[in-house]
Amino acid sequence: MPKNGQPLIHLQDIKKYYLLGDGSHYKALNGITLKIEKGEFIAIMGPSGSGKSTLMHILGALDVPTGGKYFFNGKDIGSFSDDELAEIRNREIGFVFQAFNLLARTTVFKNVERPMMYSNIPRKEREERVMEALRLVDLSDKAHSLSNRISGGQIQRVAIARALIMDPSVILADEPTGNLDTKTSVGIMNFLKELNRKGRTIIVITHEEDIARFARRRIRLVDGKILSDKRN
Amino acid sequence: MEYRELFLEAIQSLRKNVLRTGLTMLGIVIGISAVILIVSIGQGAVQFITNELTTFGTNFFQINPGTSAVAQFAAGPKNLTLDDAEAIEADSSLTNVETVIPFAAANVGVTANGIDKNLLIYGMNHKAVEMLNPTILSGEFLAEEHILTSARVAVMGKDAASDFFGQDSDPVGEIIRVDNKPFRVIGVIESSSGFFGGFFNNTIYIPIEVALNQIIGPDEGIQEIDVGVYDTDLIDQTMEDVRILLRDRHNLDIEDEDDFIMQSFQDALSTVQTITGLLTLVVAAISGISLVVGGVGVMNIMLVTVTERTKEIGLLKAIGAKQKDILSQFLMEAVVITLIGGIVGIAIGISGAFLITLFVPIPFVVNIPSVIVAVGVAILVGVVFGLYPARRAAKLSPIDALRYE
Repeated sequence: MPKNGQPLIHLQDIKKYYLLGDGSHYKALNGITLKIEKGEFIAIMGPSGSGKSTLMHILGALDVPTGGKYFFNGKDIGSFSDDELAEIRNREIGFVFQAFNLLARTTVFKNVERPMMYSNIPRKEREERVMEALRLVDLSDKAHSLSNRISGGQIQRVAIARALIMDPSVILADEPTGNLDTKTSVGIMNFLKELNRKGRTIIVITHEEDIARFARRRIRLVDGKILSDKRN
Repeated sequence: MEYRELFLEAIQSLRKNVLRTGLTMLGIVIGISAVILIVSIGQGAVQFITNELTTFGTNFFQINPGTSAVAQFAAGPKNLTLDDAEAIEADSSLTNVETVIPFAAANVGVTANGIDKNLLIYGMNHKAVEMLNPTILSGEFLAEEHILTSARVAVMGKDAASDFFGQDSDPVGEIIRVDNKPFRVIGVIESSSGFFGGFFNNTIYIPIEVALNQIIGPDEGIQEIDVGVYDTDLIDQTMEDVRILLRDRHNLDIEDEDDFIMQSFQDALSTVQTITGLLTLVVAAISGISLVVGGVGVMNIMLVTVTERTKEIGLLKAIGAKQKDILSQFLMEAVVITLIGGIVGIAIGISGAFLITLFVPIPFVVNIPSVIVAVGVAILVGVVFGLYPARRAAKLSPIDALRYE
């Protein structure tokens, strides 16, 4: 829970530079300042190369910025060790990726259960929580199906169930509908919208306007900088 | 993650590529089975030799002429005599001496049942029965009266008897000619030794005085004196006392070396056991090298696995796996490969050792400590050779792993 008056996520002048072969730097993010409050539904948009994926990696504690400060729940996580960041990812952030979301040839149940195993949650509790999460995404009957035997839409729903399993502060979805047909995409986005309506903070990275329209706040990036930040 | 979870997960992961897992295991299987097989055969051989030597009793020591084991065969020194044997027996200060058995051997022509053959004949006294422990197939062994009266009697080994008189014949009472002198056959024996039996069954035993005075020649030396003691704990002292007696009899000066060799059967046993044990250890260690090769195979495959599953590692890190979680996952996979390989290797090694004992006359021995050590070594190989790939996986940055194509 964020401390009183503090945003859930606060980025201060975040920079991410990559060293290129010729010795120069590629500025993927060039001074991003952003506050995200609890319960928001945000779409981060931009063309390829705009820095939206880099921003998502930093927001998700998968990568560390070259400069600037990142406060999560009021804590500066820039100084966190690898294991501390792993714990943040485990407990505070639920990821939904565009592709390669699930462990291959592993059951849906095992995939959803996985984050809890890294928190040493007892087996019985894990079982109950997995079944509850699968009920929520309407996939109870697929619990023991292998991950490569279910459809693309079902895969994304399993990923959402896994993202929710640790009851995180924020769901971070990177092009969650990128590989889906329109109807299934709408279904997934409506589901995320429903989760947000119940109070869950959701950040979606997308380059599709149609998908971004589900969000209540849209942040547009160009060349590693925020071009616009609009609310509905 | 709990060990149970890690173990089940490793099994599941390895089952995804059964052929590769099997081939990787093969190196460990070969290494472990070779070590188990060799140790088992080595132990079987030690037990076999021990059984053989204890057939003759461990309360004996032997005295041979010469200054080295080779000399007694090569030069045939004549400095050990029947008088020496009698002197040992007659010395009342040697209270621990129970029996004294002199042996004289010669290769002579034997004629029996119309057949001529050259045979090794043995001259000895009636007490030799205590050491040879033969099975009497017919008649009797040399008795005291035969020795005292220098009777021309002969006891035939089982194979010698069948060579002259045919299979299952009973030559007791027959007259045979040894070095052209007539001897009455009084018994047929079979040696209880599996190893020396071939030798002891194909000879003829006659009273020693007859052998020396009438065949070999009274001035020839004898080949061996076996001395039996009451108390084996005092055997070293008794040997020393006998040594002093013999040195005195042989007029040896203080700076002269012994002109005879003494060795207790127990010493011989210990020597053989030490040599066999050492040989087993060396060969087992050499086979152990194949375990290192197997371990390198495991490391190689684990490195390939880590590379193949880079994206998976990225995903696991994204959902909260710490370095130690990834490390233990891949380490467990390596250990499971080597552990299963080790268990299969033990099964093959033991079965192989059993099969060999069906064809070679050594006992089937399963050395439990070697099995435990083999399991330990298998796990150790998994840990040692799995550590580098597992650390590599654990150290991957989540973002690099996720981006890996």
